[in-house]
Amino acid sequence: MMRLTIDGKRVEARNGEYLLAVARREGIEIPTLCHHEAVEPAGACRLCMVEVTRPQWDGWSKLVTACLYPAEDGLIVKTRTERVMKTRREVLELLLARSPRAEAVRRLAAQYGITEPKYSVDEGGDNCILCDICTRVCGTLVTGAISRVNRGVAKKVATPFDEASDVCVGCLSCARSCPTDAIAFSEDGLKRTIWGKSFDLVPCAVCGAATVTAEQARWMAEKKGVAEKDFFVCDACKVGRTGQACRKVMW
Amino acid sequence: MESKLLHVFPEKCTACRNCEQACAFAHLHEGRPTRSRIRADADSQQREGKNVLVVCYQCDAAACVAACPAKALWRDLRTGAVYHLEDRCIRCGSCVAACPFGNMRWEPLRQYPSKCDLCNGDPVCVRFCPTGAILYK
Repeated sequence: MMRLTIDGKRVEARNGEYLLAVARREGIEIPTLCHHEAVEPAGACRLCMVEVTRPQWDGWSKLVTACLYPAEDGLIVKTRTERVMKTRREVLELLLARSPRAEAVRRLAAQYGITEPKYSVDEGGDNCILCDICTRVCGTLVTGAISRVNRGVAKKVATPFDEASDVCVGCLSCARSCPTDAIAFSEDGLKRTIWGKSFDLVPCAVCGAATVTAEQARWMAEKKGVAEKDFFVCDACKVGRTGQACRKVMW
Repeated sequence: MESKLLHVFPEKCTACRNCEQACAFAHLHEGRPTRSRIRADADSQQREGKNVLVVCYQCDAAACVAACPAKALWRDLRTGAVYHLEDRCIRCGSCVAACPFGNMRWEPLRQYPSKCDLCNGDPVCVRFCPTGAILYK
């Protein structure tokens, strides 16, 4: 156990814990856009900046990303100093200029008193803020169908060569974990399209409602070793099936 | 600590759906019984009054836990329940497809899976069942 101070509050942290996790457990609010509990932190959005110092540093302090900075014994963390707020406001100005229609960015910017960014707004800008959640989620937890491509202002998230990916299973994890709803997909009955690839959702064997894609089912069976026979019945019909089995035993 | 389970007694169930209402209010703060985690399988004519309450068995070797790529499903060692950690969930729907019993459900409005977590050891459905068709023991 380590002891440190966050905003004047004495808190305890386990070895290897990051400042963000410690602060959130203590109910101290730090804004993030690129944080997702399921994947390793990336420090991409720069919103979780906090100021850290130590008594022996003679008043010197440094700005660090709370999501990537490990808790240390005796550290003094300040999450709401003027220097921190100025940095966060600057980041939000840039994010809002880049993605003016992203709801999560607008909400956070408004909290920090920004409605119109001081930088020229990219009117054609999409909602992607390159937070890397989708690529981390897909890369480490699913099949690794997408990654960041290009450099500098041309950087974006895409499948290799913008072609329909061989390995994408159409699970929608990327789109659903995106904080700014930047990943387009469409669902029409039993058809699902994402990243330029079309998938057929397997209809429920009982009622015909959409279940999962055949690709996702195969991936789950192969990688996770889950029996495939239950995949293609929808949750509501499985309840009916369970009830029926119970009735057969009871009456 | 020995973990307790929800026991259902279909012969006592009148399909009043109080449990569904209680569950929906407790977890979603709205009276939307179709989004309840306990379901009375009783609505069709062919059931002939033989109502079965379907609720998560908290399986030892749970298919939902095995299927989850994000480790968003965990065993609560205090209650024995498998609970769903929404912050870790990537919403791929694997758990819903994997559960053989239909006890892992997809919430279409929020686009999240949901399951019975035994209400941290005090299941509300038990308290609201007027006939004692659900017991927690």
